[in-house]
Amino acid sequence: MHKTKAVPISFALLALAAVGCGGAAVPHDQLVSSQASIRAAEEVGANSNPTAQLHLRFARDQVAKARTLIADDENEEAKLVLQRAQADADLAIAITKEASVRAQAEQALSQVAALRQQIQQR
Amino acid sequence: MKSIKEREMLKRNRFGLASGLLLAAGMIGCGGAAVPRELIDARHAYAEAQASPAASLEPTQLYEARKALNRAESAFNEDDESKEARDLAYIAQRKAQRAQALGGISYATRQLAQAQRDHIAAQDAIQNKTAEKLSTELNKTRQEVELGKRELQTGREQLAVERTARIAAEHRAKEAMSKLAEVASVREVPQRGTVITLSGSVLFATGQSTLLPNAQEKLNQVATALREQSEQSITIEGYTDSVGADDKNQQLSLRRAQAVRDYLVSQGVPAERVQAVGRGEGSPVASNDSPEGRANNRRVEIVVGARGTGSATSDATRAPSGQTAKSGSDAYD
Repeated sequence: MHKTKAVPISFALLALAAVGCGGAAVPHDQLVSSQASIRAAEEVGANSNPTAQLHLRFARDQVAKARTLIADDENEEAKLVLQRAQADADLAIAITKEASVRAQAEQALSQVAALRQQIQQR
Repeated sequence: MKSIKEREMLKRNRFGLASGLLLAAGMIGCGGAAVPRELIDARHAYAEAQASPAASLEPTQLYEARKALNRAESAFNEDDESKEARDLAYIAQRKAQRAQALGGISYATRQLAQAQRDHIAAQDAIQNKTAEKLSTELNKTRQEVELGKRELQTGREQLAVERTARIAAEHRAKEAMSKLAEVASVREVPQRGTVITLSGSVLFATGQSTLLPNAQEKLNQVATALREQSEQSITIEGYTDSVGADDKNQQLSLRRAQAVRDYLVSQGVPAERVQAVGRGEGSPVASNDSPEGRANNRRVEIVVGARGTGSATSDATRAPSGQTAKSGSDAYD
């Protein structure tokens, strides 16, 4: 029980200390948010679309870079890099979805065209 | 629709770009700031998104992209070498591209919905056409059945009319025959038919084949009855007694039968149905020994419905009309 409580306290102390040192706070929220977007992009199938895949790759690379920056206490810059990562991941999601909906629409349109041709032939 | 502020900003950007290019050559040494590649890309991406369906379908997302671009532009204006400006431009470019993609999603989603509605409408149209076709065929078949029914009904009615007419004709024929029975001997003889027997003495003078005036009245009644016997063949058979030569009797009986036939035809009995036959002394109905018996044997029989009567005499049956007996040698007839 003592140990589990001790961990967040020590984190808080460290954070205070970091702020005290003049550096920005670790961008936890942005890290969580960027990672969530990357997972979402993977789930919608961004890896199967070349353009989306490229942006997903950018996002992953930038998250990795941000981790390094955080480790080096470069939190301000890490936050911006994480925002870039999120922008890429969100773009990957949109590109994937757009391609999917476009394909569905095209299929539906061609089906309608075929049906209309059927009507004319009757 | 753009605000004045925005226009000014764009102008400034363009100016910035132009001046950047002009000054680039001379100012590199002076450390003058070129517009970073990220910001150029971001502006392009925004312009593209603005020209896309996103402008009308995803205005909020486009607005967010605009804000991101503005932040990048501000950062660049504050410090043209700042890394933050490049990062913000990078983010702004993605946001613009995302807004455009979201616009594409909206557009395609609408297309898809419209296509689905069209699909249903087209299917309905096909179903309607099929139903229409079937309905037309059904109606045609119904009309054919109705026509068939009417034809059947007409046929039945005609049949009934014909049947009634036939029954009526048969009835009239029977009545005519029974009326005739009141004035002449009418018998039903198996294998021969209805036999009407007329006494020779009533019809002809002795040895003659010319009808007596009184005979005509009787034959008129016979003609009336025969006219009603439609479709029946009629045979007029002449008979004599045994007095006199056979061949003479034969000729006399034929002439008499023909005289009766001619008269009946003149009274409207169809000629093609009536034939005359001479039987001579054959088939006596009584003894030739007594005068009474001989009188009975001298006769003319009219057979109605007779079939297959003596073929031997058939050649002589349709002798020309108006032929009268020339021989007067049958003194005892």
